Amino acid sequence: MAPHISCFFLVAFFSAGCQVITSSDQRCIEKEANKTYNCENLGLSEIPGTVPNSTECLEFSFNFLPTIQNTTFSRLMNLSFLDLTRCQIYWIHEDTFQSQHHLDTLVLTANPLIFMAETALNGPQALKHLFLIQTGISSLEFIPAHNLKSLESLYVGSNHISSIKLPKDFPTEKLKVLDFQNNAIHYLSKEDVGSLQQATGLSLNLNANLITGMEPGAFRSTVFQSLNFGGTLDLLIIFRGLQNSTIQSLWLGTFEDIDDGKELSDSMLEALCEVSVESINLQKHHFLNISPNTFHCFTSLQELDLTATHLKELPTGIVGLSKLKKLVLSANKFENLCQISAGSFPSLTHLYIKGNVKRLELGTGCLENLENLHELDLSHDDIETPDCCNLQLRNLSHLQSLNLSYNEPLGLRTEAFKECPQLELLDLSFTRLHVNAAQSPFQNLYLLKVLNLSHCLLDTSNQHLLDGLPALQHLNLQGNPFPNGNIQKSNPLQTLGSLENLTLSHCDLSSIDEQAFISLKIMKHVDLSHNRLTSSSIEALGHLKGLYLNLAFNQISIIPSGLLPILSQQSIINLRQNLLDCTCSNIYFLEWYKENVQKLEDIEDTLCESPPALRGVRLSDVTLSCGITAVGIFFLIVFLLLFAVLLIFAVKKFLRWKYQHI
Amino acid sequence: MNSFAAALLVWILTSPSGSGHGRGEGWPIHMACSSGGLEVFYQSCDPLQDFGLSIDQCSKQIQPYINIRFGIILREDIRKLFLDIALVAKGSSILNFSYPICEEDQPKFSFCGRRKGEQIYYAGPVNNLGFEVPPGKYHVLLELYNENRATVACANATIICS
Repeated sequence: MAPHISCFFLVAFFSAGCQVITSSDQRCIEKEANKTYNCENLGLSEIPGTVPNSTECLEFSFNFLPTIQNTTFSRLMNLSFLDLTRCQIYWIHEDTFQSQHHLDTLVLTANPLIFMAETALNGPQALKHLFLIQTGISSLEFIPAHNLKSLESLYVGSNHISSIKLPKDFPTEKLKVLDFQNNAIHYLSKEDVGSLQQATGLSLNLNANLITGMEPGAFRSTVFQSLNFGGTLDLLIIFRGLQNSTIQSLWLGTFEDIDDGKELSDSMLEALCEVSVESINLQKHHFLNISPNTFHCFTSLQELDLTATHLKELPTGIVGLSKLKKLVLSANKFENLCQISAGSFPSLTHLYIKGNVKRLELGTGCLENLENLHELDLSHDDIETPDCCNLQLRNLSHLQSLNLSYNEPLGLRTEAFKECPQLELLDLSFTRLHVNAAQSPFQNLYLLKVLNLSHCLLDTSNQHLLDGLPALQHLNLQGNPFPNGNIQKSNPLQTLGSLENLTLSHCDLSSIDEQAFISLKIMKHVDLSHNRLTSSSIEALGHLKGLYLNLAFNQISIIPSGLLPILSQQSIINLRQNLLDCTCSNIYFLEWYKENVQKLEDIEDTLCESPPALRGVRLSDVTLSCGITAVGIFFLIVFLLLFAVLLIFAVKKFLRWKYQHI
Repeated sequence: MNSFAAALLVWILTSPSGSGHGRGEGWPIHMACSSGGLEVFYQSCDPLQDFGLSIDQCSKQIQPYINIRFGIILREDIRKLFLDIALVAKGSSILNFSYPICEEDQPKFSFCGRRKGEQIYYAGPVNNLGFEVPPGKYHVLLELYNENRATVACANATIICS
């Protein structure tokens, strides 16, 4: 009989499991209790009962709502964000959102709308963001404008709109973003642009519209936060239309899939003399030739982005860019850093030359005129040099941020960054560094706060590697091996008294000496994940409190009771993917774990490794009874009593027997 | 023991994989191109949807900047979009690489910046290198994903070069 019952239970158990799996497929995901729910991709045709009335944020994309009307959302009165992307909505009837007074953002992207009723958007007191991307509309008249007084952004990309002209009564007082990306706008007239006059600080996006004509001076005496004409073939049309306008940021780049338009010539850019622009982007354009005179109209320009503009060099003595603050020359074809002729940009504070197509030679003193340079990005440039970086960065005494990540091997000697004593951030990740024994390349970087040395394949046995960094707060040493997988008592980290954040993941560590971090007294964040550490390494953290401690992907099995106080004094601990033991030999830790669940991260993936019966079970679900239970004690006492009685009997019998035989 | 076997049978029959909810079948295998001694087949490995792809000028001698046609519904915004390619032949990995298509500071294509839900049709060049495919059978895993590593498209492709 017994096996029958157990099999019945087995079947019941598994089928119950399956039920849960299938029904959970149809459930919305609770992201924040009573507030945020995600019901994407569930094929729902109504708001399910599991979404409470108090919901504020509802992600409902990829469902099925052919018609929405005043009953559809009526009970969700607190909604502030509603995403109805691609719900096959054809009709939006009268008063659909009448009870959503707090609705702030409405996303109707990719619905084949046939009609929106005149009062469809009535209800919200301050609707700020409306997305009508790819809804098939050909005119802005389609949008009921009654209740859009608070509108800040309107997205109508990927439609069939051919004019940016706003309808007569369309409210524009608060409008900041008007996005017409990928429509059929080919011509802009004065009247079209005039309809936007009421809006101040507007960003107008006309990316991927083939503008073939513009009324000269169409933007006369207008002020725009940003204008995007991405993908336009003939920029001269744009330049003429923008005469006498003021624009903060002008995006005029093109793309790989757009035929090369007209090459930019000096005479074309001449038209920009009457435009006031602060920031301009010309990515992927071809210059006919860049002469010192090319940019002479850019006198007010502060930012120039020439990403992937096929540049091999810039001429010396460029006129007009003396006020330029930020220059982007990424993804070009320079061979030597001196070819950018840095002398033309004396005010430059930010310079980005990353992803150069050719191997970039840093040369000597190529940037020495850039006395004000604060930020320099030279990543992904195949830079290789046996002795970096004092000659190369000569005179950059104000440099605060330097990125040399993803380059070829660099050789560093003591005080390698002597020319940039103000450095606060230095990124050398994924660049192999050659540092000879006992050299201290970062010596005297008194202000350095952040140092990324991940995957630099450093020689960590060099005790002086990190000498001279009194202010260092963040250090990333991910992927650097330590000798014998061990961090000893004397190690290069001991000099970093200000360190708060230390990453030692993927360092192939198997042990850490108890005293290894003893001089690091104010650490807040320690990442030791993806190593081969066992619980004994926890002792090295004994003097630290309130840590975020990541020990995921290690080989921790049993944590003795003596180490638990060290864990207790930390604030968040991650122990997922370890070889945790769930037998009675680890009972103190298991009990501690259950009492401190609020401190633990990724509890869903923190699983038992042994015994085999509990393998893969969440630690938080394990209940062990170790030691002797009450019933056990009762039986033990009974047994002992019986044994004592028996013994007394035996002794009595033995003595009597002895007496009788005297 | 008999009843145990029966119970096991019942479980197998009622378990999701056994009862054929249609999940394991996957999307149909499509042909992206077939000519000049080269055949390219692919299957979408995104459980949510299929996509369409065709490659112009298919040949053993792959030309640089080949044109493709590509149609898909976006499940994510693609202001940032990356491509991973893993090439396997005879069970061993030959090549893995990752390539940015759309980035904030360098949107390479005109479709960069389009939004979740949008239907996209792209007919145009991909800036590939030209090379000759040695005869053989290759498996390629292609993945398009955004900055959160959320899948935009996933394809299991087979390339047969004779």
